[in-house]
Amino acid sequence: MTAAQVPLSAWLLFAAPIAALLLGFFVFRPLKPEWTHLPILLSCAVVTGASLALTARVLAGGSFDLNLYRWAAAGRWAIDFGLRVDGPGTAVLSMVAVVGSLIHVYAASYMKGDPGFSRFFLVFHLFFLAMIGLLTANNFVQLYLFWELVGVASYLLVGFWFHKESARKAALKAFLTNRVGDFGFLLALLLILTSFKVGHFQLVYFLVRNSTTMPEFLPLIGVLLIWAACAKSAQFPLYFWLPDAMEGPTPTSALMHAATMVTAGVFLLIRAWPLIAAVPALPPLVAAIGAFTAVFAAVLAATKKDLKRILAYSTVSHLGLMMLALGLGQVAVAVLHLIIHGFFKAALFLCAGNVGHAIHQPTANVDDVGGWGPSMRMTQACFVLAALSLAGIWPFGGFFSKDAILDAALARGGAFALAGALVSVLSAFYIFRMMFLTFHGARPEQKGLGAHPHEAGPEFVAPIVLLSLGAALAGLLKSRVETLVVLGWQQVPFVVPIIGGQLRILRADLPGVSVLPEFSATVFAIGTGLAALGAGAAYYATMMDASWDWRWRASSPRLSNVFESDFGWKIVVDRLVAGVAGFARFVGQVFDKAWWDGAIEGAGTAAGGAGGILSGFSRGRLNDALWWMTAGTALLLAARGLR
Amino acid sequence: MSALTALWAVPLAGAVACALAGRAARWWALISGAAFLALAAAAVRLSWQAGAVLAVTDALPGAFGVSYKLAADGFSLSLVALTAFLNLVCVAASWELEVSAGYWACFCFLASALSGVFLARDLFVFYVFWEATLIPMFFIIGLWGSDNRRHAAVKFFLFTFAGSIFMLLALIAIVVAHQRATGVWTWDLDALRGTDLGAAAPWAFLGLLVGFGVKIPMVPLHTWLPDAHTEAPAAGSVMLAGVMLKMGLYGLIRVALPLLPSVAESWLPILGTLAGINAVYGALCAMAQTDLKRLIAYSSIAHLGFCLLGVFSGTSQGLTGAALQMVNHGITTGALFLMVGFLYERAHKRGVADFGELAARAPRLAFFFGLATFASIGLPGLNGFVGEFMCLSGAAESPILFVGVPFFALLGVVGVTLAAAYALPAYQTVFWAPAGPGSASPRVGDLRPRESAILWTLSGLMLWIGLAPRGWLALLEPSLRGLVK
Amino acid sequence: MSAAIWAITAFLFSAGLAAVVLRRQLLAMLLGVELMIAGVNVALVHYAGRYADAEALAAVAVVIAVAAAEAVVGLSLILKVLRSGRGLDAGDLAELRG
Repeated sequence: MTAAQVPLSAWLLFAAPIAALLLGFFVFRPLKPEWTHLPILLSCAVVTGASLALTARVLAGGSFDLNLYRWAAAGRWAIDFGLRVDGPGTAVLSMVAVVGSLIHVYAASYMKGDPGFSRFFLVFHLFFLAMIGLLTANNFVQLYLFWELVGVASYLLVGFWFHKESARKAALKAFLTNRVGDFGFLLALLLILTSFKVGHFQLVYFLVRNSTTMPEFLPLIGVLLIWAACAKSAQFPLYFWLPDAMEGPTPTSALMHAATMVTAGVFLLIRAWPLIAAVPALPPLVAAIGAFTAVFAAVLAATKKDLKRILAYSTVSHLGLMMLALGLGQVAVAVLHLIIHGFFKAALFLCAGNVGHAIHQPTANVDDVGGWGPSMRMTQACFVLAALSLAGIWPFGGFFSKDAILDAALARGGAFALAGALVSVLSAFYIFRMMFLTFHGARPEQKGLGAHPHEAGPEFVAPIVLLSLGAALAGLLKSRVETLVVLGWQQVPFVVPIIGGQLRILRADLPGVSVLPEFSATVFAIGTGLAALGAGAAYYATMMDASWDWRWRASSPRLSNVFESDFGWKIVVDRLVAGVAGFARFVGQVFDKAWWDGAIEGAGTAAGGAGGILSGFSRGRLNDALWWMTAGTALLLAARGLR
Repeated sequence: MSALTALWAVPLAGAVACALAGRAARWWALISGAAFLALAAAAVRLSWQAGAVLAVTDALPGAFGVSYKLAADGFSLSLVALTAFLNLVCVAASWELEVSAGYWACFCFLASALSGVFLARDLFVFYVFWEATLIPMFFIIGLWGSDNRRHAAVKFFLFTFAGSIFMLLALIAIVVAHQRATGVWTWDLDALRGTDLGAAAPWAFLGLLVGFGVKIPMVPLHTWLPDAHTEAPAAGSVMLAGVMLKMGLYGLIRVALPLLPSVAESWLPILGTLAGINAVYGALCAMAQTDLKRLIAYSSIAHLGFCLLGVFSGTSQGLTGAALQMVNHGITTGALFLMVGFLYERAHKRGVADFGELAARAPRLAFFFGLATFASIGLPGLNGFVGEFMCLSGAAESPILFVGVPFFALLGVVGVTLAAAYALPAYQTVFWAPAGPGSASPRVGDLRPRESAILWTLSGLMLWIGLAPRGWLALLEPSLRGLVK
Repeated sequence: MSAAIWAITAFLFSAGLAAVVLRRQLLAMLLGVELMIAGVNVALVHYAGRYADAEALAAVAVVIAVAAAEAVVGLSLILKVLRSGRGLDAGDLAELRG
């Protein structure tokens, strides 16, 4: 395949957002900032169409991977950029395009009237472009480029309302934590280039599969990539930036921190899966991290009071589930959950946005709401659909992916099975708790009755309706996703020009990318039972024992603090950061300025002092000079005489 | 080709014209700066197309084999072009300043001397131009700087001069050793290659390392830099950080490594560690600074640490990346110093805590400053990433491991990670955080058209080099091939 | 015979040197210089007589002439210093300090 044969839709994927951004920045922003969203919404539509076209193409067997542009070269070292359109890439791309476009539409109404409207849309769409680039990258360097760009967009959007100190701190925390993760990615990238001499996925897969001995750095590369994924996809121990990132406007939280950016980490692992799977110890590590984080975050989600933070911890938990699926070798399941999670989590976030909008706040706390179901019927209905999908109740979308993960976990047994079961119960618990506390029956501790929430206008509700329907019906996608992942991955030809003019087409024989598990009545029963258990517990804790949420906090402040500080992990992190900052201060101000520079300046002062002492010899007196002359002459004569 | 002489003679003529011109000095500076840039661009174009080394050699009837020899390959010309470009940027940025004719003359003279350093191929001529750069910089810092300028100027001069003495001793030792071996006195760089100094070789290399290391600056010889940068006027900082720091690296690549390759080879562990220390130490110190200029000065130390990692790696991507990063750093740090200069000009304050809310008052400044900050911390897509990545890629090929990881690459990546930690909090405090009661922000207005134009040019270059570095690399790579192991 | 002359020369010379180095009064230092010159002259004249060397006598003539000139210059300088009101003590004239 040559550059001329690349389908138009692939070019449009990039051309549309770039054109929209340039138009928006150079034309609309200076002249009519409140219209900045128009070229951008148009671009969203184009991108959605293009992604779906590419997905259809891949389903029909037309995946491709080719280099288009030599970015840098020196001697025999070269980095090329190109496009890789294959199964997992287009599957996730379609989800990102659809969900992203709907959130763009929502944001047009949500952010109306904000003085930074233009800036928001430009950065938001820049993020969108970066995500597209990340998903279609065909080598690790290109992926890293877009990965960093996504991080910058996140920084600018979390810190969007920068006059708030909490937003500034959250943005910095998000960026720096991601940077710590990127330490791993960059080092892994360098090691990949050193070990394999190339960074292209297909070539690396080929080299890994066909080498007789494991390359020296492969375990290290795997660990570092997992570390990077933990930062981006908010896994323990680097998850703590995500709850604080809720400081950003709700569309940001919905798109970036639910559906797309945070899934980039999981996507990196999917792309690097042949490398990781080649080291026997790594997949269990991934699964263990995923399982632990899933349970850890689910417990915390059940104890939080801010609506967006509950959803944030829920996202962390579900990302943990995706990692768990991946670690158990179920790549298709991970992709499926990634896609379906995108739909229902985005819907949930936008519903929370509506709730906040009703009380003119960026976010709402359970203390501020209560019993708003009757006033916000549409929002409530969407929320219910999405919640059922999250909890994994058949026939809603989330069931299919949850069920598959539970199946794999139970099959593995042991701690993973226990983790899977716990997460099922807790997911249902926290989402139904959130639903009941917000939409049903105001309790005395809540101010819900006092406020008069109004349902948001149709322009707010329409996108959410579509997202919730997507979340509900996503189960229909199951077989398509399976085909895409299995077929679309293994069928990708990569054309490699070889010196001498002969082309070689590589098809990497990839490790078994498992198909989705067959339907099992046992797992169905167990899963539904656990979800029902969780939902029932939530009903009890919110409707029947209405003040339970407030009572345990009041009666046991120590326990409340434990949950507030994420079992103490936040305190550990704060101490670490303070330690590093203190060390930097020591190095910069004490060691460098006071000690080292002081020593050098001291040498200057010492030289001055020595000069002062020496100049004491010449007091300017004639008699002294005469003495010296006499003494000198006598010495010379004596020396001459001795000779 | 006597055109090469023009490359340093034109700005020198401009300096003389400025000194004599009095009130109209800045126009002469502009004219000579533009002419210089045009000449440099033409030379780059010639070199790119012809792929050749342009040279001029005149034997001086001098003692001890000193000759007047200049040559220009892609690497030298890239730095000459950088000098010319930043010189013009400095003239444009200082346009409205109330300064005497001497200011403009100093800048022209500085440009001339720098250009001579990068073109010289005779070690004596090289040394003369090297020392000549100190004089105008001393005056620029000492006469037109801020409050503590006298001390900073003297410190700068004495420190770099002392380093240069070691370099001179080393050069003399090499020339004498060559004469003892072949009976010919020569200071010609190409002829001196492969001189065998025997037991004196490590000492000579140490002398060269000290001389160049002070300029780079290499930790622990770096303490002149923060003071010099803080006290220099904005345009002075731009030239200092943008070009003068590159003299040290240039000297390493052009003089030290080709003349004494075996010593460099055996000292690789130490050299690589020093380079890594630069990257990490510079970043740590930068995190602790409260003065914007000092912060950027320490970040320069960190950036040049990356360049050093690339140089000492001995790989083609490392060396070419380091050469490109020298140009990149000039552009990015030049832009940052310029903007801090604009702030200082308006508010007469430089502290991070002295501002606040500037994103609302000066949105264009906020945009450019943000772009330059991200370029500085190595965001892919902007120029800083290309050089850093190539240098680190070179460093990763070193066989020296530490807990199973290539040690120098590890240090470099730690430096990259820490970069965000010093740059972004400062940016946030200045532009996003609310202004305190004593803040100087009310005095800060947005960019004027002249300033915007300069920053658009610099930003455009940042994006161009970041997205399409291949052409620039093609210019640099042939010159560095000889150093690749 | 020569021994006595050398003794006289040495005595005159060292007396003159002592006067120059030890005395602080400018006129006394000048006198000391004159004494040193006188001592050297004695030695030169003796030498001229002893070895019948006319050049030595010529040297004596030159020395006397130069000594006269030097005395004039020295005395005018001392007068200048005196007239400027700074006294004649060499210890007070210490402006060429290191």
